[in-house]
Amino acid sequence: MALVEVKGVSKRFGGLTAVSDVDLTVDAGEVHCLIGPNGAGKSTLFKLIVGLYPPTQGSILFDTVDITAERPYARVQRGMSIKMQAPSVFKELPVRQNIQIALQERLSGAERITEEDRLLTLLNLGPDSEKLAGALSHGQQQWLEIGMALALKPQLLLLDEPTAGMSPEETFKTGELIKSFNAEGMTVLVVEHDMAFVRQVAQRVTVLHLGKIFARGNLENILQDEKVAEIYLGKTHAH
Amino acid sequence: MFKLLEGPQTLGRGKIFWSCFLAVLAGALTYPLFADSYDVGNFAYFLIWIFMALGLCLMWGYGGMLSFGQTLFFGIAGYGYGVLAINMGGGTATIAALVLSVVLAMLAAGILGYFMIWGGINGIFFGIVTLSATLVLAFFLGQTAGPEWHIGPARLNGFNGMKGMDPLTVGDFYIEGSALYYTMIALIVIVYLALRMLVNSGIGNVIVATRENPQRAEMLGYDVRKYQLLTFVIGSGLAGLSGALYTSWGQFITPSSIGLPAAAMPIVWVAFSGRNDLTATLVGSFLLLFGFQTITVYSQQAALVLMGALLLATVMLAPQGFVLGIGKLAADWWGGRRRRDDGAVAEEAGRLQPEES
Amino acid sequence: MSAEVFSVFYQFADVFAFLILSAAGLAIVFGMMGVINMAHGEFIMCGAYVTVGLVNLGVPLAIAQMLAALTAGLIGVLVEFLVVRRFYKRPLDSLLATWGLSLIVTQSMLLIVGSAVRGIGTPEGSFAIGGYSFSTYRLVLFGCAVAVLGGLYIIFMKTRFGVIARATMQNAAMAKALGARTGRIYAISFGIGTGLAGLCGALYAPTMTLIPTMGATFVVESFVTVVIGGANVLLGTAPAAVFLAMIRMALNASYGQIIGQIGMLVAVILIIRVLPEGLSSVLVRRGR
Repeated sequence: MALVEVKGVSKRFGGLTAVSDVDLTVDAGEVHCLIGPNGAGKSTLFKLIVGLYPPTQGSILFDTVDITAERPYARVQRGMSIKMQAPSVFKELPVRQNIQIALQERLSGAERITEEDRLLTLLNLGPDSEKLAGALSHGQQQWLEIGMALALKPQLLLLDEPTAGMSPEETFKTGELIKSFNAEGMTVLVVEHDMAFVRQVAQRVTVLHLGKIFARGNLENILQDEKVAEIYLGKTHAH
Repeated sequence: MFKLLEGPQTLGRGKIFWSCFLAVLAGALTYPLFADSYDVGNFAYFLIWIFMALGLCLMWGYGGMLSFGQTLFFGIAGYGYGVLAINMGGGTATIAALVLSVVLAMLAAGILGYFMIWGGINGIFFGIVTLSATLVLAFFLGQTAGPEWHIGPARLNGFNGMKGMDPLTVGDFYIEGSALYYTMIALIVIVYLALRMLVNSGIGNVIVATRENPQRAEMLGYDVRKYQLLTFVIGSGLAGLSGALYTSWGQFITPSSIGLPAAAMPIVWVAFSGRNDLTATLVGSFLLLFGFQTITVYSQQAALVLMGALLLATVMLAPQGFVLGIGKLAADWWGGRRRRDDGAVAEEAGRLQPEES
Repeated sequence: MSAEVFSVFYQFADVFAFLILSAAGLAIVFGMMGVINMAHGEFIMCGAYVTVGLVNLGVPLAIAQMLAALTAGLIGVLVEFLVVRRFYKRPLDSLLATWGLSLIVTQSMLLIVGSAVRGIGTPEGSFAIGGYSFSTYRLVLFGCAVAVLGGLYIIFMKTRFGVIARATMQNAAMAKALGARTGRIYAISFGIGTGLAGLCGALYAPTMTLIPTMGATFVVESFVTVVIGGANVLLGTAPAAVFLAMIRMALNASYGQIIGQIGMLVAVILIIRVLPEGLSSVLVRRGR
């Protein structure tokens, strides 16, 4: 069953068409990776799904409801949860309060504190829970933000390059974390550069190139597709 | 519910803090017993302004919305109280006039705030749009000298101001002198404690989250615009409370309590005190108002020059505010001595240095 | 008939000139540095006082006005160097700092020179079209406003300073890396901004009573014009002034000055709701 349906969506900025007539389906329960070379339009498509931009054309459905005109907060209330590319946490507030702000709508009292502790331990942030979030390392901030996204207990977790700036070990742990949440039934859509990470987590992959869908399918097929290797690796090598 | 009195958003917790709080309160309550009535009246006068300061502290320090329009809502409620008290007759109706005038200020804030916040106005522009509205109201009221400007029997009276309304009254008893003083003290305690509970509550969490990173807050499912509007309406309502009390206290109000330089005063109090903390704002505003009144007796201009200089000195030397800085230093010195943790003191002291850009 | 048309144009020109002259300096400082100079009104006041002072010493009016603008500009450079420079990374604090300055200056002036100074009177001269009589000086003011816009166009589009200034406006770090002395550019831009404020005061000095708080008369108009116009003086402020002048003129004519001002404010508040990016976003379609 499709949880997210992107239907014929385009986005133009002035004369530039960043995303052109894209159809994309994310099924409930899968980990779906959106990949493509730099400038393929991945982040723009991500922002359209999240609601940061309105699309120029097309519509976006979540759980069969048309959400094209909804603002991000309304989409979150429907069961989406979002982690943007650059770490974006409440820097002047303590780590625990960051998690608390994400949790407080769902849990209260002792239950909330138990869940805060569980998430902080899961993210290896326990010892730093009283520090200001801005004082954490880049990788820790990425984790804190993933933790805030998870705290909402979403149906759909949307991650834009979650492992940017992480060490290989941290990246691997993040992948395992995502898989464990997927195993509990969470659907995940990831925009990612790091192919090792994609191999680790992805079940289905959509390749975007020059703002259009270039290929899609399950992980093995995409990895073996020579044309994908050409546009993708070609560009990354030249980079 | 009362455990919300303490929390991450407010300085001061534990027995020592609340003992100090009670000691100050006891001092304030016994003050009229040994002071002469003229001084008590004066004290009540500058307690009037505390509400406006606390409201700005909430908006600016917690919500990140720097409103230059506190005196706009002060004026709306101040004139509102006058018009209502005159039209509804004196007596106990003045209490209704007070409440209604504050509601009027909140309504005005709701309308102006809706257009600004839903229009995406923030930062610098939030300040100058609110200030523009404030100045336009002051200009308008300044031009209402003619007899055609009246609401019922209430004449607006241009620069000379509106007068003739009754002070707050219950039955035949005028709330004046020490009765007014005790009313002020009670209101300040209620507002201060209620604001502490608000900022430490879940709503307060969202208010500070919106200040820190509105996009992130929205992506956690909060309609940040509603929280900003709520903050703006509460803060403006408090400015309105000050305005209505001011009119009741002196039984007159003029446009000069709305326009420049009056509009700058709340900014100076809160900036100097430390906008990030309610207690610092309470203490600092009180000290500044006391000092200002003392100097104004000799020269109002000199007092205003001093206020300007304090504002400039605050942003240049201690952008987080002097009272808050000193309070934090003292708390850290105390804590540091107990924990023998000198590192934290040095760190805090470092934070007080001006950020050279 | 043509007399009526000219009369409408005359009223429009009068308001337009007031908006442009009072807002141009503020808009330049905001456009270049992202700073709203809350002491803008005090630089206007400075221009007015210097003009009147010099005229009373026997200096011809036009020369006095130019010297007044120059004085305000130089003081602006000094203020930038001593105060504003520290706050480019903290724009809200720059508002507070300049507001503090504004308080200090206004109240010190009240202490030192007292409330009112003898004015110099509007230069005489009027002309008649049809049955109507018009003041020549008001048209001179309109000419000055147009000249200010033209002058800014030349400075920012045709000179080397303008190229570097626009580059700095776009990306200060990059301009610095390419060798532009951004500190000096900011100081000069701030000076141009306060100089224009001084010019505004100088030009209006003959038409109004001089009091130290006179700056407040101009700030509302300059604020709302900049709010609507945004960061670009030529493509934002000028069209914003045209738009606001039309509203203001229509309301002034039917209901008087104060309703005109209120109407203008209401229009601004409605516009920011409908066009969050300001009027210039419609006029300048910048593709992202």
